[in-house]
Parts: sequence; C-alpha cells; structure tokens
Amino acid sequence: MNTARRFLDKTMKVDWFFIILVLALMCCGVTLVYSATYNPEEVFYQSYWFRQIIYFIVGFFIAAALSFIRIDYLKRLAMPLYFLSLLGLIVVLFGGGDVIKGAGRWIDLGLFKIQPSEFAKLAYLLAFSYWLSRHPVSFFRLKSFFVPAVLFIIPFFLVLQQPDLSTALVFTAITLVGFYWAGLTLVDMFLLLSPLFSVLLSHSQFVFSQIFWGGLICLVALALFYRKLPKALTSFFFLINIFAGYASSMAWNMLKPHQQKRVETFLDPMNDPLGDGYQVLQSMTAIGSGGLTGKGFGEGSQTNLSFLPEEHTDFIFSVLGEQFGFLGALFVLTLFFLFLWRGLSICKIYEDPFVNLVTVCACSIFLFHILVNIAMTIGLMPVTGLPLPFLSYGGSFALTCTVLVGFLINMRYQGGRY
Amino acid sequence: MYNASFGNEELQNRNLKVLVLLALIVFFFSIIVFRLFYLQYLHYDENLERSENNRLRRVVLTAERGFIYDREGRILVRNRPSYQIALQALSLPRNKSEKDSIFRRLLDIRDINGVQLFDSASLDTAFQRTVWIKNRPIRILEDATPEEVALIEEHSSDLPGVITLIESRREYPYGTLAAHFLGYTGEISEEQLKLEDFKDYSLGDRIGQKGLELQYDREFRGVNGVKIIEVNASGREVGVVEGMGSQEPIPGMHLVTTIDLDLQKIAEEAFPDSVRGAVVAIDPRTGEILAMVSSPRLDPNIFSLKRRERNKGWAEVALDSTRPLTNRAIAGAYPPASVFKLVTAGAGLEHGLIGRNTHFQKACTGGFQFGNRYQKCWSSHGNLNLIHALRLSCDVYFYQAGLLIDMPRINEFGERFGLGSDLLGIDIPGERSGWLPDSASFNKRNKRNGWRWARGLILNLAIGQGQLVTPLQQAVFIGSIATNEGVYRPHFMKEIRSIDGSLVRRQEPVKIREGKMKPETHQVLLDAMDSVVNHIGGTGKRGAVKNIRVGGKTGSGEWKKGEKTHAWFASVAPLDDPKIAVAVIMEAAGGGGAMAAPVAQKIMEEFFYGDSLKREEQ
Repeated sequence: MNTARRFLDKTMKVDWFFIILVLALMCCGVTLVYSATYNPEEVFYQSYWFRQIIYFIVGFFIAAALSFIRIDYLKRLAMPLYFLSLLGLIVVLFGGGDVIKGAGRWIDLGLFKIQPSEFAKLAYLLAFSYWLSRHPVSFFRLKSFFVPAVLFIIPFFLVLQQPDLSTALVFTAITLVGFYWAGLTLVDMFLLLSPLFSVLLSHSQFVFSQIFWGGLICLVALALFYRKLPKALTSFFFLINIFAGYASSMAWNMLKPHQQKRVETFLDPMNDPLGDGYQVLQSMTAIGSGGLTGKGFGEGSQTNLSFLPEEHTDFIFSVLGEQFGFLGALFVLTLFFLFLWRGLSICKIYEDPFVNLVTVCACSIFLFHILVNIAMTIGLMPVTGLPLPFLSYGGSFALTCTVLVGFLINMRYQGGRY
Repeated sequence: MYNASFGNEELQNRNLKVLVLLALIVFFFSIIVFRLFYLQYLHYDENLERSENNRLRRVVLTAERGFIYDREGRILVRNRPSYQIALQALSLPRNKSEKDSIFRRLLDIRDINGVQLFDSASLDTAFQRTVWIKNRPIRILEDATPEEVALIEEHSSDLPGVITLIESRREYPYGTLAAHFLGYTGEISEEQLKLEDFKDYSLGDRIGQKGLELQYDREFRGVNGVKIIEVNASGREVGVVEGMGSQEPIPGMHLVTTIDLDLQKIAEEAFPDSVRGAVVAIDPRTGEILAMVSSPRLDPNIFSLKRRERNKGWAEVALDSTRPLTNRAIAGAYPPASVFKLVTAGAGLEHGLIGRNTHFQKACTGGFQFGNRYQKCWSSHGNLNLIHALRLSCDVYFYQAGLLIDMPRINEFGERFGLGSDLLGIDIPGERSGWLPDSASFNKRNKRNGWRWARGLILNLAIGQGQLVTPLQQAVFIGSIATNEGVYRPHFMKEIRSIDGSLVRRQEPVKIREGKMKPETHQVLLDAMDSVVNHIGGTGKRGAVKNIRVGGKTGSGEWKKGEKTHAWFASVAPLDDPKIAVAVIMEAAGGGGAMAAPVAQKIMEEFFYGDSLKREEQ
C-alpha cells in the first residue's frame, strides 16, 4: 500500500506534459525525415526514418535512466566528466580523429564513433552549472569570473580549432545564459554584449548606423552610471565600445578583399552563389511555396528539395515549411515554445541553484539550435550546420537532445530533495 | 552563497529571470513567424511558381583555359569555341508520352544530305540519364556545326529541354607537332574524381589528361564562375534571379614553355615519320628542353572532337602496336649502346686506371677472346689509344677497359651525370627511369629466370649493351659531361603568366646532381667527343656543323638478332661553351652515325644558324 502510494507520488512529480511534447516533436521529426528521404526501393530497416526511430528509442531509455540518477551524483561527476571531455577534444584535435567533411570531429572506438564536441557540450553544461551554483558571479567581484571563464575558454578554443564555429557558439550561448542566471542583471548583460553591438552598428551599411552607434554609446554610459560599477570596469566597458566602433572598421579595411568577401559571404549567404547561397535560395523557395497549408505530406520533396543536399539534416525545416505550410511550421514552433516554457518553469519550483542552472543552460542549448537552424533555412542567418533538435536526422545529436531531456526530467523529478 | 533568509526575494528574482528568458524566446520566435508569413503568404505566388516549374538553374560558367606558348611567345595550344546540343533534364516535360515525342522529333531532324543528326541508341541513353542527372546538361551532340545548331534552333519551340551550349575546346594548331609532351584534355573520368588529387574537380570538367596539359592543369583551368538564372518553360534563360550574386569565371594562366618552335619544327621534319624513336634537345646549362619529338606521331585534336569521331581516333591510336601514345623521349628505355663508352672511359680516367694514351695488350683484330667466348667488334681497328678508340667506337678496347675498371666505378660515373634508376624529375608525367646493372642488381632483377651474374657480362655492359637509358637521360648525360657544371632538372616550364601577361612564376634552374669530374678527365672526354664528329674517320662525322665545335658519340644498339640496330646519336655544342645537347634514337634503323647523326645535325644547324638560314630563304 505504502509502496503504491510512494510510486503514485513519484509519478505525479514527472512532468507528463513535457514528455508528451518531446514525443510529439520526435514524431514530427520522424515524419519529416520519412518524407524527405523516402525511397520505395529501400528496405525499411536501412532507411533514414527507421534509423531515426532507433536513435530516439535508445535516447528515450537513456533519458529515462538519467532521470533516476541522484542529483548529488551529477554534481560529483560534473568536474571529472568535464576533464574527460577536454581529453576527448584534444584527441580529435591532435590526430586521433577521423576526418569527416574536412573537419576532424570524430573519435572511432571500433564499435561506434563518438563526437567529442557533443559530449563536451553536456559535460560543460554540468561543470559550468556546478561551479556557478556554488560561486555566483558579479561585476563587483571580478575574481568570480575567473574560474568560469577558464572553464568556458578551454573547450571553446578546442572546438574552434576543429574547426567548428557553430558548436563553439553553442558554448557561448550556454555561458551567457549561465552568467545571467548566476548573478548578472539585464543591464550587466547589455554591457557585456555592447561591444558586439558596437561592431555590428559601426560596420553596417545602414545610413544612420553612425547615429545609432552614438545612441548605443549613450546607453552604455547611462547603464554604467546606473550600475555604479568599479571605476576600472566602468572605463573598460566605455573604452571597449569606443574602440570596437572605430577599430572594427579599421580592422575591416586592413583585411584583404578576399577575406572581406569571405566574411560577407558568411553573413549573407546570397553573396555566394557557388556554395551556400543556392541552397538557401532553394530552401526559401521551398518554404515559400508551401503557402499557408502546405503542399501536403510527401508532396513537393521530389520536385524541389532534391536540390538540397542536406534536406534531411540541416534543412529539415524547409521540408516542414513546404509540405505543411505556415500552419505546420507554426504548430512545430508552438511545440518548441511549450517545450522551452515547461523546461524553464522548473526554475520556478526549486531553490537549488544547480538544478536551476542546469535547466536554463539546457534550455539555452535547445533555443540556440532552434533559432540558428530555422533562421538559416529562411535566409536570416548564415549557413552553419547546426541541426534542429528532434527534427533533423542524425544519431549523435539525437542522443545529445535526449540526454538533455533526461537532465530536465531529472531536475523536475528530484530537484526538491535537498 | 544564496541566502535563505531572502527566500521570497530570491523567488521573485527567479520568476523575473524566467520571464525575461521567455520574453526573449517569444521575441525571436515572432521574428521567425513574421519571416515565414512574409515568405509563405506575401510572396507565396512567386515562390510557388518558381518551385513548381523548377525555374531556378545554377549555370556553371567555365573558365577559359590558359594557352601554351613557346619560349619566344608563339602559340602552341589555344582554344576554339565549340557548340554542344544538350538535354536539360529539369526543362524536359515530365510526362512520358511528351518526352517520347521530343525523342522522335529529335530523331526526325536531318541535315541537308538527309542524314540523321542523332542516332537512336545514344539518344536513348541520354534520355535515360536525364532521370538521375538533374542538375547539369547532358550532351547529345558534341562539337556541332553552325548548320546543325541552326537546325536545332529552328525547332526550338517544339523541343523544350533541348538547349545549345557554347564551350571552349582545346585546339592544337600544329597538329601532331609536340603532341606527346603537350598532352591533351578530356572529360574527367569517374576514377580520377575519386582520387585525392582531384578533390576540387567536379563531374563534367575537362581536364588535362597527359603531358603538360595534365601537369599544369591547375594553372590552366582557372576558377569556374557561376550564375543563378531563372528560365522559362522550355528551359531558356529569362533573367538573373534578383538579389543573387553571380561569380565571373577567372581565366586560367598561360604557360610559357622552354620549347623553341623553330627547333621543334625542324626536329619533327628531320625525324622520318616511318621510323619509331625520339629526339630530345636540351640546354645543358639550365635543363631547359628546347625540342622533343616522339615517333610515331599523335594528333591531339582527335581528343577534342565529337564523341563518335573521338572514339574512332582513340581506338586507332590505342590499339596500334607501335604504341603512338607513348612518349618515347621520356618513357622509352633503350640500351645506351656505344654512347655508353663515354661513361666507361670517364670512369677509367677519373680513377686513374686509364689515360689519354693508354693502349691495351690486345689489339682489335675484329674480336676478343674471353674464356671460351669470342666477342666480336664491328671492324678490326688494330691497337688504339683512348681517343682513337672512342672516335672509331672500338668494342675490343672497351671490353678490356671494362674488365679493368669494373661495373661499380662505371655505374657511379654514369649516375653522377644523370643516368641510372633515379628519375630526372621532368615536369610531365610518365617519365621512366633507366637501369645500370651491377652484380647485385642484375641477380635481383633476374632472380625469376635464374640468370646469375658472370664476369663475362662486363664485356657487354662496357659497350652499353644491357643497360637501359631514356633518350632524355642520354641528352642530359651528354650535355652535363660537356659542361662539367652539374646536372640540371630537365623542364618545360619557363614561366607561368597570368591572363594579362604579367609574370606569376618563373622556373629557375634546379641542380639535381653535382655532376663534376676532374678537369683532366673532362678535357679528354671533350677531345674524344670532338674527334668523333670532326676528325676524318670519326663515326659521327655526319653530325658536324660548319664552324661550330660539335662533340658527340654514336651508338648502334643491338636488340634482336637479325634486326637492324637501334641508331643512337648524342651530341653537344659548342664544346667550349655548351648551349645545346641533342639525343636522337631511331628504333631498328641501322647505324647511329649514318641514320641518327644527320637528324641531330639539322637541329644543331637550325639552333646556330636558324635565323640566317631563314633570311637567306627570303
């Protein structure tokens, strides 16, 4: 009797709505992969969609297992896992890795291959959360940034060397959100990001950008006045903005034309008809031709998306937009929004800063992937190759996602025990 | 740490931060939704039209291939425009019966003589390929004549998906001249595409397949451009897509070779068409190749013809038993014959074993008894000194010299000046190495058939029977023993120039062997080469040029009993300050002095008196 009741208690603590959301997203993913890669001549167990189902089932069990791990074990494991992941990154960097698509990103363990940068994302998430949960950061104690900055920079540069810019940016997203949660205010975040805005504004082709940049400097000054940071930091933020505004255009002019072109191409893929531009154009055409309700399941992919070499991975959103239209895309976006909302709501329940940090950082990984990937397919962002969670085909990333889901379920399930 | 006593405030703080994060998510998601609305609602019609008819095309703009010039800037290889009729899979009707009717209409097209333009078998293959090759045109008529193009354009409204392309193809204005080292171009093969070297090439690219065309393909090819266009229903361009950039092709670079066109022409003329063999002329001071001929000749133009004719031409040359595709100048390995006596003599002099006036015990009586073997000489020369023995090319003298000096010393001397198994590293693919056997390498090579090294073999080797050298090696050898200033890597590339004529790269001479001998040795060899050509009774007197001190050595290589010998002549001039070295081999043509020396003589004459000869003609 007692056992049954305890079981019921525990079951109530599981966020079933969240799990249903995840399953719904996974179903969307398998459906889209199916329609993007369907080949009548293929045996079903060799097909992409079937393999994707297998990945999700394996991932589902991993997530389930993870949700039973006691949180203090996770805390204890955080640092050792982090160092292990650094080791993995170093191995791929210095020759151990197999070369796939020009970037050495894999370690072959005989039976299967692992992608250390995916593992590093997870390990970094734990270690970073663990440290910040015990040592909140503040601009009034600059020393508090030292260890988290080191924790961030090492894997960041190792991944950047692979070279894998987009994954390195995922690390940045984790870090920024983590800092925000662990002590910085919104104004602090604005100050932290202001040099980036300065570079973008002073560099843009927009006519009034100089005026806007002036406005930004005023805002920075205002923020600094409001925060009353230590003098050294105040002058640092102010000067770095001025410097970023001027030096970036100087640095730009110092670049050789072909280097300038490379940067421009990255920022605006339409500049590069040889490579990514054509893909993005095709993707936008595909999505746009879906209209409000789409062409219907299985329609259109043969005629149009055969242009996209990575339609079942990076450009899966184009398949969605073409076949299910605006409404279908809206539906999936709603699922994603609800998913993130249910995830973040864990933070409202528990006090434990570790639980909260793991939650927000995990959500930030999802958010970053969703935004960058979708923005790429609709021509708002450079082509990076970050997959779309639950929808894009791919074993490694599917596992990462389910592990993150496992963390989130775990946090809600066990978060209040201490 | 987080202070528990501020629990309520802390909770508010957390709720606020969650709210901020959710607001951020909503903000970004709305941008996406607006963009989707813009694409899927506001621009729905145009996107739908584009996607339904597959109106977008990526057109590759092939870069103009760089030209090849001779050392004076005269064109050896250029391009010509060529029309291709092709199928554009995406513009063909999708429905089967319409496709069939296009197929039939194409078959019905006949030229003025009533001959079908297309044959049904190959057209059928092309139509089948359209099923899986979507993104590039499939050629159905290569190198079409303007009349054929006009015929197709006449019917263009009935033939959606049939398009005309203009390509540029290689043209070799001098035909067979220099064909072996210029090489030719062809469509990249699927085997090549799999190789690491061709990673950045794509299917349908025309690349160099041999000779300089292959060696300097990266310089020639330039960078292809691309444009994205919108086409109408029958596949013809209606405009460039708004907002999409295009990339202009960057033409390839030009190659200025070290070849002298006049010299090359003379060499081609002087070398009889009916004889197999090769000629190499180089500048021994730098390794620059001045002329190179390989016979039988090859016309590279057949490789840029339309497929049917190309296949015919290809079959002819590939199946020819005389192997016209082989560049004999670098890949033909022959016994060096008596030219090798210079090596034997040089080695002996260098080690002080013989001198200018050395006489051997046994005079030449037409042969030489060694053990139970009797080795013949080609005449009876009597008792000679070294210079005379070289001049008359007496075998008996060198049988004895070889036994005295022994192979290791002889081979070392040969290798010092470019002979042997190390490649010279000429800048076209396909170079073969030579072979200078000694006891160890002979036994190794003949392990299978059980032949063992015997001292008697030295007799043959001392007169150059049994080794292998290439004509290129022979020219490099004779040149570098005359300069005594090192062996330079033989090369064709003089300069790489960009399309506007500015210099990109220049080939500096590269010394690959020290190539030095004692001055006394050098002097004796020079005198000997001089006397071969310029002394009465010298075997190479037909290689002489008026007022120029030409030195040389003849050779008649035995290769098969009962057949005429391979005729060798290697010469260098002027001996006091060598500027040109020539090696000529004529397979199964007879004696070197009679057959090969006149060819070298004509080349030398052109080299030294070419301009004045031309002036006289005018």
